[in-house]
Amino acid sequence: MIPILSALEDGIAALALAAMVVLPLAEIVVRRIFGVGIPGSGPFVQHLTLWIGFLGAAIAARDGKLLSLATGTFVPEGRPRQIASAFASAVAACMSTILAWGAVQLVRSEREVGSIIAAGVPTWVGQLALPIGFTLIALRLAWRAGTSWFARALGAAGILVGIALIRYPGLLENRPAWPGLVVVLVAAAVGAPIFAILGGAGVLLFMSDGVTPATVLIETYSLSVSPTLPAIPLFTLAGFILAEGHASTRLLRVFRAWFGWIPGGTAVVCAILCTFFTAFTGGSGVTILAVGGVLFPALLKEGYRDRFSLGLLTTSGSLGLLLPPSLPLILYAVVAQIPIEDLFIGGILPGILLTAMIAAWGVREGMRFATTRHPFRTREAVASLWAAKWELAMPLVVVFAMFSGLATAVEAAAVTALYALLIQTVIHRDLSLRRDLVRVFVECVLVIGGVLVILGVAVGLTNYLVGVQLPAKLVNWVQAHIESRLAFLLALNVFLLVVGWLMEIFAAIVVVVPLIVPLGAAFGIHPVHLGIIFVANLELGFLTPLVGINIFLASYRFKRPVLEVCRAALPFMAILAIGVLVITYVPWLTTGLLTMFR
Amino acid sequence: MRHVSRSILALAVAALVVVSADVPSAQTVNIKLASVVPEGSIWSNSLRQMSTEVSKETGGRVTLTVFAGGSQGDESTVLRKMRLDALQAAALTGVGLGTIDGAFNVFDVPFFFDSYDELNAVTAALTPTLAKRLDAKGFVLVNWGNGGWTQIFTKKPVNTVNELKKAKLWTSAGNDRMVQWFKSNGFEPRAMAMTDIMTGLTTGMVEAVPTTPIAALGYQWYKQTPNMLDIGLAPVVGATIVTKKAWNAIAAEDRQKILASAAAVQKQLEDNVPRTEATAIAEMQRRGLVVTKASGPEWRKEVDGLAATMRGEMVPKDMFDLALKARDAYRKQHPAAQAAPAAK
Repeated sequence: MIPILSALEDGIAALALAAMVVLPLAEIVVRRIFGVGIPGSGPFVQHLTLWIGFLGAAIAARDGKLLSLATGTFVPEGRPRQIASAFASAVAACMSTILAWGAVQLVRSEREVGSIIAAGVPTWVGQLALPIGFTLIALRLAWRAGTSWFARALGAAGILVGIALIRYPGLLENRPAWPGLVVVLVAAAVGAPIFAILGGAGVLLFMSDGVTPATVLIETYSLSVSPTLPAIPLFTLAGFILAEGHASTRLLRVFRAWFGWIPGGTAVVCAILCTFFTAFTGGSGVTILAVGGVLFPALLKEGYRDRFSLGLLTTSGSLGLLLPPSLPLILYAVVAQIPIEDLFIGGILPGILLTAMIAAWGVREGMRFATTRHPFRTREAVASLWAAKWELAMPLVVVFAMFSGLATAVEAAAVTALYALLIQTVIHRDLSLRRDLVRVFVECVLVIGGVLVILGVAVGLTNYLVGVQLPAKLVNWVQAHIESRLAFLLALNVFLLVVGWLMEIFAAIVVVVPLIVPLGAAFGIHPVHLGIIFVANLELGFLTPLVGINIFLASYRFKRPVLEVCRAALPFMAILAIGVLVITYVPWLTTGLLTMFR
Repeated sequence: MRHVSRSILALAVAALVVVSADVPSAQTVNIKLASVVPEGSIWSNSLRQMSTEVSKETGGRVTLTVFAGGSQGDESTVLRKMRLDALQAAALTGVGLGTIDGAFNVFDVPFFFDSYDELNAVTAALTPTLAKRLDAKGFVLVNWGNGGWTQIFTKKPVNTVNELKKAKLWTSAGNDRMVQWFKSNGFEPRAMAMTDIMTGLTTGMVEAVPTTPIAALGYQWYKQTPNMLDIGLAPVVGATIVTKKAWNAIAAEDRQKILASAAAVQKQLEDNVPRTEATAIAEMQRRGLVVTKASGPEWRKEVDGLAATMRGEMVPKDMFDLALKARDAYRKQHPAAQAAPAAK
């Protein structure tokens, strides 16, 4: 019975992902032929993202693959560890229960309003993914609290506590939130899943203010169905499909033939490749999911150390945000009301600087650990290019689809996924449709879900911080206590690092930018320079543990514990931190080109 | 044992679904108001002014905290929060108002209004009906907010209706009925998110964007669309609303004070927004924008035909007729004012 249900769950998830590829493709075709698209195809694809995300999270919970801090492994083995892990699961199950109930409230209220997604499908049906997802997660966390019945009873008790808190909100309302937060933090330290830490903190804080925990879920929903999000699962799928076959071997051959004579050549190429991919896909860690799986084995085979390769790819996921046409730059320019092209020009040198610093670290690694070098041979260079022609054409496919006016970013991502599928199954036959396809799809869904459930509740917590006007209070404090420009810039760096750590990038821009722009002006900082400092700091924030999205993505993609990824990324983070300081204190890097162009 | 555990879990699931919460009351009423109007704009300034006035006038019995710039999410998100009492008020644009009740789409009927004066007269006539419809959905109408007037910004110059129909026209993603309306009237709508307009214009996915001059300047879209068709497509009408629950918690005298402050703000916007709009157009013209005035019988004829197709489809019939009656009454009183569709 259980295996059949699991297979069914996997099947539904894989099917939803397949639908997500097909729908935008059909939309392109129909639009070309009939002039207008499929009614509601956009909103449907967005809601598919929500379903994939929360089915994926439920599958991750089933397989015990919800992401958690690795600090739980510091608890001594045996009885202490069993108790600690049962406790962590119980707290997480409790928080999931509250989140599930919040989702039920959201669905109910939506149903009363009677809104529709499109083509007569009610919105509340689309939202059902949330209560179903969180209920499954709560049950599975309780079940997996341990193998003993004592542990499972503790897990079930967690659910019951959750129900009690929902039933009697007076237990939390108008009382200090810290005791609850302490429990959540202790659970976090001994290994509770990260989504339960952030989501738990969110619901506890809201409930202590007398606000419904559904607020967190409203934010989760609106993030999950945002119009640009579907590009992420689609690019991820393309990357997963490519990584399954021998694409990395073929690419490695190209790198060897062309750059093998330079020490650290492959590492340099990886850094540059990731930079471009990030700039074009609109930022965040899509890069790690899309190309990380292909590049990681290539780096290892080339003789780079495991830790170095892991750190390099984790970091590379956020390089490129300063280079056009990165979406965060556009958004910043709009919110701060400065010309977009000024920000694009201003970002060029700082962007190149950060990539160059990481690349230089790669060269150093290549020289120190004497990775194998290969002399340049024209014949092999040409032959390697020819062998990898299909993979190499892929970026061209993306760029062409996006800039020919044929497709939107989401549709371009769908085209990319289809293209990857075609080269792997039809051309190279690396992947068997029957044997591998469902497995690859489910693996991909699990990763998307594991990440989306964290980001989804993180925006809920962010919303709480916005609601109590924390960013404004911090800014006021800075204004009251800081007088010199140098000290202001330093405080700004620290402040933005915290922002990048706690907040999702787009939320951070919308909320924080209007606050710091007048401050920057008061201290005589060029508005474009301030923008570049802002985005550069967020890049760094992505690498910071707990909510640093790149850390999670890398942990999932390379199947390593969060702490190991953090350790591997540490030297790279230090390099980027130096880079960010240089960008901050050498304004010429940003404004130099700008004055030249004027 | 196994059986017992399963039962506990089943019980837990059942309990998840049936429980509900009760809500407390407090003496001071704290109202959180959200809006998507840009921070630092004429609208967010007026909201903050209202916030200061409200706490002063009511002696702190009512506080109004403003979250502008979309920091509480887009309008559907804000409405969801209002329904669950996480927010108590919002200054919405036509998009959000239309989601609450289709009657508000009456302001979006293309080429329906000729001037701000006509719009204000019709709005005043419709206010009691619209307020009643809002009340039925659990919201109280506090004031109207003038948001400017939508013009059409195009990559290539557009002089005739047919030229406009050939251009790929941006429409907001998520409003499928509007897309279908454009389609059935021979336009080429392209539905996408507002954040995609810039890339859409750069890549040629869209060639024409209907938007207000203030927004075109603010979002810098005008740099990709050097032509503005001065056609007065439709006004952008916003409104401030409060949930009935929060409104009822406020003492009657304080409500009057809030309404007075809101009315003053409404009047200010009525006076200042057209002026800001003219400044925005002048500023863009200085930077190379070419403004073409759409006039002549061809537009007029086409325009009345298009407006009529919205009746019953986008706007409830009774609402449409009510608006039409009010507009025609106004036009009868002011025959000189209706020369051609224009932005003023």
